[in-house]
Amino acid sequence: MATTTLNPRAETYQRSWVLDWLTTVDHKKIGILYIVNSFFFFFAAGILALVIRSELAVPGLQFLDEATYNQAFTMHGTIMIFLFIVPVLSGFANYIVPLMLGAPDMAFPRINALSFWLLPVGGLLIFSGYLFGGAAAEGWTGYNPLTQAKYSPGPGTDLWLIGLTLVGTASILGSINFIATIFKMRAPGMTLFRMPIFVWTVLVTAVLILLATPVFTAGLIALFIDRNYGGSFFDPNVGGSPILWQHIFWFFGHPEVYIVILPAMGVVSEVLPVFSRKPLFGYRAFVFATVGIGLLSFSVWAHHMFTTGFVFLPFFSFMTALIAVPTGVKFFNWMATLWRGKLSLTTPMLFALGFLSMFLIGGLSGVMLSSPAVDFHLQDTYFVVAHLHYVFFGGSVFGVFAATYYWFPKMTGRKLNEGLGKVHFWMHFIGFNLAFFPMHQLGISGMPRRVADYSPDAGWTILNSMSTAGAFLIAASIFPFLINVVATFINGERAGDDPWEGNTLEWATSSPPPPYNFDRLPPIHSERPLFFLTHGHGHAADRPADVDEKPEDDVQRRGGAA
Amino acid sequence: MRFTTARSRLWGLLRAAIPFLIIGLLSGCLLPPEPKTETAKDVFGLYVAVLVMGGIVFLGVEGFIVYAVVRYRRKPGDDQLPPQVHGNTMVEIIWTAIPTVIVLILFVISTITLNAVEARSAKPGVTVEATGFQWQWRFRYLDSDNNPKNDAVVNGTAANPPVMRLPVGEPIRVILPSLDVIHSFFVPQFLIKRDVVPVGENGTPNELEFTISEEGTYTGQCAEFCGLQHANMTFAIQAMTRAKYDQWLKVAKSGATPAPSAAPNATVIKLSATGTKFSTDRIQVPAGQPFVIRFEITDGQNHNVAVLKGGQVLFAGEIFQGPGVREYQVPALPAGEYQFQCQVHPVMTGTIVAGP
Amino acid sequence: MTTAELQRVELPPPGRGRHEAGLPTPLVGMLLFIASEVMFFGGLFAAYFNARAAHAGAWHPPEGGELDMPLAAVLTAILVSSSFTMQFGVAAIRRGDQRGLRMWVGLTLVLGVLFLLGQLYDYSRLGFGIGDGIFGTTFYTLTGFHGAHVFGGAVGLTIMLARALQGQFSTANHVAVEAVSIYWHFVDVVWIALFTTIYILR
Repeated sequence: MATTTLNPRAETYQRSWVLDWLTTVDHKKIGILYIVNSFFFFFAAGILALVIRSELAVPGLQFLDEATYNQAFTMHGTIMIFLFIVPVLSGFANYIVPLMLGAPDMAFPRINALSFWLLPVGGLLIFSGYLFGGAAAEGWTGYNPLTQAKYSPGPGTDLWLIGLTLVGTASILGSINFIATIFKMRAPGMTLFRMPIFVWTVLVTAVLILLATPVFTAGLIALFIDRNYGGSFFDPNVGGSPILWQHIFWFFGHPEVYIVILPAMGVVSEVLPVFSRKPLFGYRAFVFATVGIGLLSFSVWAHHMFTTGFVFLPFFSFMTALIAVPTGVKFFNWMATLWRGKLSLTTPMLFALGFLSMFLIGGLSGVMLSSPAVDFHLQDTYFVVAHLHYVFFGGSVFGVFAATYYWFPKMTGRKLNEGLGKVHFWMHFIGFNLAFFPMHQLGISGMPRRVADYSPDAGWTILNSMSTAGAFLIAASIFPFLINVVATFINGERAGDDPWEGNTLEWATSSPPPPYNFDRLPPIHSERPLFFLTHGHGHAADRPADVDEKPEDDVQRRGGAA
Repeated sequence: MRFTTARSRLWGLLRAAIPFLIIGLLSGCLLPPEPKTETAKDVFGLYVAVLVMGGIVFLGVEGFIVYAVVRYRRKPGDDQLPPQVHGNTMVEIIWTAIPTVIVLILFVISTITLNAVEARSAKPGVTVEATGFQWQWRFRYLDSDNNPKNDAVVNGTAANPPVMRLPVGEPIRVILPSLDVIHSFFVPQFLIKRDVVPVGENGTPNELEFTISEEGTYTGQCAEFCGLQHANMTFAIQAMTRAKYDQWLKVAKSGATPAPSAAPNATVIKLSATGTKFSTDRIQVPAGQPFVIRFEITDGQNHNVAVLKGGQVLFAGEIFQGPGVREYQVPALPAGEYQFQCQVHPVMTGTIVAGP
Repeated sequence: MTTAELQRVELPPPGRGRHEAGLPTPLVGMLLFIASEVMFFGGLFAAYFNARAAHAGAWHPPEGGELDMPLAAVLTAILVSSSFTMQFGVAAIRRGDQRGLRMWVGLTLVLGVLFLLGQLYDYSRLGFGIGDGIFGTTFYTLTGFHGAHVFGGAVGLTIMLARALQGQFSTANHVAVEAVSIYWHFVDVVWIALFTTIYILR
């Protein structure tokens, strides 16, 4: 097992471990900070989910009063979206994108650090509402006039607004960094159409963040002005409009959900080819589909507002249905990658396949909701809760775990245990479906969302109990994962540069990489520079035209057990 | 788990599928409740069409994934690369074009049903103003005389949600004003909801129209999160023959409770309510004597005052809509402590001390 | 893999992207930042137009309030001039004229501060506040956040001036000045849009 770097631990000067991590501007350390911070918020919001599901298992208010319940689901949604799923994907992107580009770091390392540190501050501010009379309790969507000071007095909602403004600013700064890095810091030979798909998805995601998040910030500030300075933006009694809030929120909110899913799709697009031993089918089409989804995502927002009676239904219905086309193209590309491949069902591959199955269901339920007449029945019911969890959780979170198992060896130099990984996967997969599939039927039969309690005569009890059982199974599945992480740090199997026979440049340096990332870069003539190095004669498309085929070019590379 | 033959792999997969089959079977048939209005039937049909389309895609794609996992598993020791296929332009064009066509078809059938749902009749059989407010409904049956004073009004309490009685077979127009935040008028068995949005002085509230096709009682609930008691904001629709409806309407319109006569020199307690708050949470009254609560509602909501002891209602004042004032003649209370409460908003409570 | 098989790569000089002909990386960053700020103001303008369109009756300040058009026109002139002075400063340092840079940046800063003072003076005399109905809310929010951005630009100009006084800039090395100038022009363009929307179109 040969390492390729001159000095993996080369530092400019020695300083204490704590100070190093607090002041680092190294994208790799910042990426790890993002990931670890996000997992803390994941567990906090996950506990809130358990609280919610415990209360809803059977009719009647057993543990909570309505006020506490309403704060619980508001905090759950807000924290999961803004402090877990977006930052954790950002963390993986931060770590991996410069490596995939063959770059030594991000374009603006100090702004990178600032982007990270704003997150725990913003998250704590949002949570601090609990200490000041109650956290925000109006749903993560914060609809007006409910969020006006008159109906939601107290600092909880204001702290929510300020915290989210900080988190949004962090996102925007990060997006500037990613776009500049991707356009200005690619290694020689890496044209845009030779970048890994993960980098493409991060690029489109960053553009969405850049353009959509500031609109949300404007809305947050406007609501803050309404609440604290007698403003009239959203109060209909003084010339404002509650529907304006929904437009502003969803103009951001819809691109936000693509911000959440695209990097996960990127991860899947890296994992499937590696563990099928084939290239991603239709690379160019995939790039165009990603860009197309990004563009279309700005044109569909009002499908969240069909029942308000204030939107032009045919346009938004059409655009929403249309966005299924590039998404379908991606599915077919993934399926064709598996076709006639040689699949290794490692844990990252299981999570990637799980993503395909679960995101499919979430996408199909979304297409059902795109029809206004159907949406009139299903909007604001548990059908929507099922849909959003199948795409956020079945999609993005599965992608996050695929990324974790796939890139853990690169980041730490050790491979997570496969046995425990499979236990984690199956508990997680079964628990997830048990928790969320029954919610489709609950919504279809009329159970509204955001209710602290429901009637015992409605016939919803069994499905709710099933769902609660599933939630606890998901929680239990975290234990094999955490045990795996801890045990691997203590005594895990060491990984070399390239334990998976990867295709992309992050596997062309040591695990973990040195601070400066690369001593040498391989020649880049395709989107799989490492594949050519290993299997030079594998395929004409991966082989540069100007290289002579000499026996000594046929290099056998094995960076560790596959 | 290691499987050496395709058959044992398949068997392993089937065993893994059992939990999902169980989940799927228990989860129900994924069909909405039986539709009880004319347009609900159209929506039901559209829903089934979309569900079937989705089901076909689901079985196809999911089936392929399962097949691929079984069929293309890398055998241990096999280091041969599979054929490195990068793409196929013709195939990619086809699988872009076909979904586009499917999407267009979906859009067309969707628009047809939408037009049916949104159609408005020239002359509805009944027009009801269903006002939503935190956290109750009030139904006012509008007639053509433009005199709100003789409209039938149905109020509800947390314990007794309001019932909207309607005739079957006629177009019903529901107007949906809000007094405070956004609510939503949702009747699952009608497969429809519409948001109840506050629109200010110059705005027009939303409207909904449906024709009920079958007699029966149908539950409804607020479907837009509106604060503390959102989960309790329920109502019911009771559909009956036109004749029975007319009968009920006549009684409802004439039901004005006569003002009771005031006892001379009775203590008058002033109490007011707005939003979800009383003006005070403690009232002192003389024990053993009837007294008057002069109750003022300063906002547009429904409130009342009820007197309770140990959860038992001793007196319940008439629920009325503000702004306005009513005088409640409360019978004598023996010395002790009681609770007073608004039955529309049970969070509004206070203490009555009847003393010497 | 042994290191011998990997091709040696010449890394480009620090601070410059791979493409020598392309924009310098700090300018790319500034342009992206400005794109996000355009969307931010876009959200605020959307709120303004929405309120205006939905407003029954004439759109004007609340009772007792009045917009000071002449003062706003003067402020516009000040800000537009400051864009010219800023660009003269950029031209100066591009040809290596350190004194010219200091003079023009200093002048731009003075004009920027004048604008801010004028804006505050306007606020003090308007006769209505942010809590006075939808007109007041949108007016103060839009002009207030613009003013905040002018303030941010003034801070940037101060730093540029300080660095220029220390002789830190040259023909080959002045990308920070270019970046601040782009930001300053952006702030000016936003003001022109504001002035046109609020004062001229009403």
